[in-house]
Amino acid sequence: MNPILSFIIILIGIYGICTSKHIIKSIVCFNLIQTGTILLFLNLGYSEEGHIPIIGEQIEKIVDPIPQALMITTIVIGSTITALALILSIKIFHYYGSLYWKVVFDREG
Amino acid sequence: MEYIPLYLIFIPIISSMIIYLFNLRIINYLIFITQATISVLMIKYFLFINKNPQFASITIGGWDKRIGIELKNDVYSIAFIFLTIFIWTIVSIYCFDKRKNDAKFLFFLLFLEGAFLALLQTNDLFNLFVLIEIISIISTILIIFKKDGFAVRAGLYYLLFNSIGSIFYLLGMIIIYNIFGTLNIDVIKHHIHLIDNDLIIHAAFILMMSAIGVKSALFPVFTWLPKAHGAAPSSISALLSGLIVKSGLYVMIKVDHLFNLYTFKEYFFILGFFSAIIGILFALSQKDIKQILAYHTISQIGIILMGLSTINQITFYGGLYHIINHALFKSLLFLGAGMIIRTYNIRRVTEIRGVFKTMPLTSIFIIVGMLSITGAPFFNGFISKSLIVHGLKEQTFIYFLFFIINIGTATSFIKFSQIFFGKSKLKGQATINEKIALFILSIACITLGLHFNYFNQYLFHVESPVVILDLYNIMTYFITIIIGFILYQTIIKKDYLVFKKIRHMHITFETTNYLLVLYIFTMILWSFKAL
Repeated sequence: MNPILSFIIILIGIYGICTSKHIIKSIVCFNLIQTGTILLFLNLGYSEEGHIPIIGEQIEKIVDPIPQALMITTIVIGSTITALALILSIKIFHYYGSLYWKVVFDREG
Repeated sequence: MEYIPLYLIFIPIISSMIIYLFNLRIINYLIFITQATISVLMIKYFLFINKNPQFASITIGGWDKRIGIELKNDVYSIAFIFLTIFIWTIVSIYCFDKRKNDAKFLFFLLFLEGAFLALLQTNDLFNLFVLIEIISIISTILIIFKKDGFAVRAGLYYLLFNSIGSIFYLLGMIIIYNIFGTLNIDVIKHHIHLIDNDLIIHAAFILMMSAIGVKSALFPVFTWLPKAHGAAPSSISALLSGLIVKSGLYVMIKVDHLFNLYTFKEYFFILGFFSAIIGILFALSQKDIKQILAYHTISQIGIILMGLSTINQITFYGGLYHIINHALFKSLLFLGAGMIIRTYNIRRVTEIRGVFKTMPLTSIFIIVGMLSITGAPFFNGFISKSLIVHGLKEQTFIYFLFFIINIGTATSFIKFSQIFFGKSKLKGQATINEKIALFILSIACITLGLHFNYFNQYLFHVESPVVILDLYNIMTYFITIIIGFILYQTIIKKDYLVFKKIRHMHITFETTNYLLVLYIFTMILWSFKAL
């Protein structure tokens, strides 16, 4: 897979986060940037005809396991942040009756 | 003995879990036992490291340094760890009266301490990322702890914007991993001079710095800070302003030493100046007592950044010393502001009057904090500001800029000090715990101001050769105060339209993200200077 693809996903995410006026859309765009980053890193560890890195077998070419280990952690962190942000947006809807950034921050109290 | 760094991380985390699971009032006192234990352990470790410096780093599980998790302590991290334990103890003393039945709050408070201590000691780029994210998540939960509309929207703003910033750190880290095949900071530092490709190193540096800029609220991307710090409970505001913001600066020192790029020193100096000025401009226009203090955090971070991004050694240590001092006096001011808000039930500086009548002891402590932040002689703010200025004295223009910042701070705190005068019929509601916490902090402010030389030698192993308490500096301070008073009486008190406009200016989430992109873009433009 081409790293260009993940760059495109990241740029779409950055564009979205700069323009979206809705809280849920912002959260989605945040997820897009993160997914692009994860894809990019996994891509770097990948090699054609690479095998699983297990000691003891006669393998010449292996894939790099470290990006996979690190990206699992990043996925967990990303899902935690998404969950917390969604919970907060539910609360915000209860308080302000809207999910648009402008409406929420213009209202007093 | 060499495993004490691990204990420092896990003792707070495990005791936080015990507090949460048992959920009993008597168990909640465990928080003080934890603080006492880790302070004793830290003092032991400090003495041990001074004798045997080879044990300063451990790799968990005995793995090779290049793939394992390494904890390493150096001069900076030890100073920061002492500061962290101290501030956390103060905050737990302060809030214990109110929160002694609230196991959930104490759980998050202690867990955050463990995560922060881990951030200070880790020597691995990916661990830094994970811990920054953990700190963001837990701080969000603590910010929204009151669960009112203000707090929740501020919490969401803080969480999303900080996470977006952190992703850029991850991107920079990917570039580093792709070049070096390791994430250990020491290994990378030893080999970074072998890389000829300047472009890729600059790209990694810029991406990492954009995340750090968001974390430490530098000039264009500071908008989350006043929202979050204004909405949080006072004890949490003190923690956030005193320490959590500094995590960005600490990572910045680490990354700066890692890359060693001289090109960006000037850039960050200019950025620091703008942070300082913009922070003061916003603080002057605000009326909310907590917002004023939050905007002053931005301006003080600007001053610290100016100190840290010069080549002069004394100025650098001045910046480092100012981090510690700022943590002390800003938490003092925030905790005091919390007591005032609870007594008066209003947050407008223009309406709170007669604090000196209602709470005389608290007012004295707050005045100590105010004298420190404006840089009065014999207080700690004076020392670090003089150390920063010392390296810049030859450059008249920069010295002049620094003078303007000082005048702004003085004016803003003269405005703040109006709360002490006047009459009030309210009765002060300060508990003994809160008074003790403020008392310890103000004593620390004065001690660090009087015996700074001793601290500098013991913690940072540097001499401060300058004679700081000379007549010239003291005269400068009084001139600053006089000009500030005149400015307050003639301009600020009238509340002109410009200040009203600034006060009601609201930067939306999209605009903040545009500013982040702009910040990255200016860094890219600046890097062309070197290529």
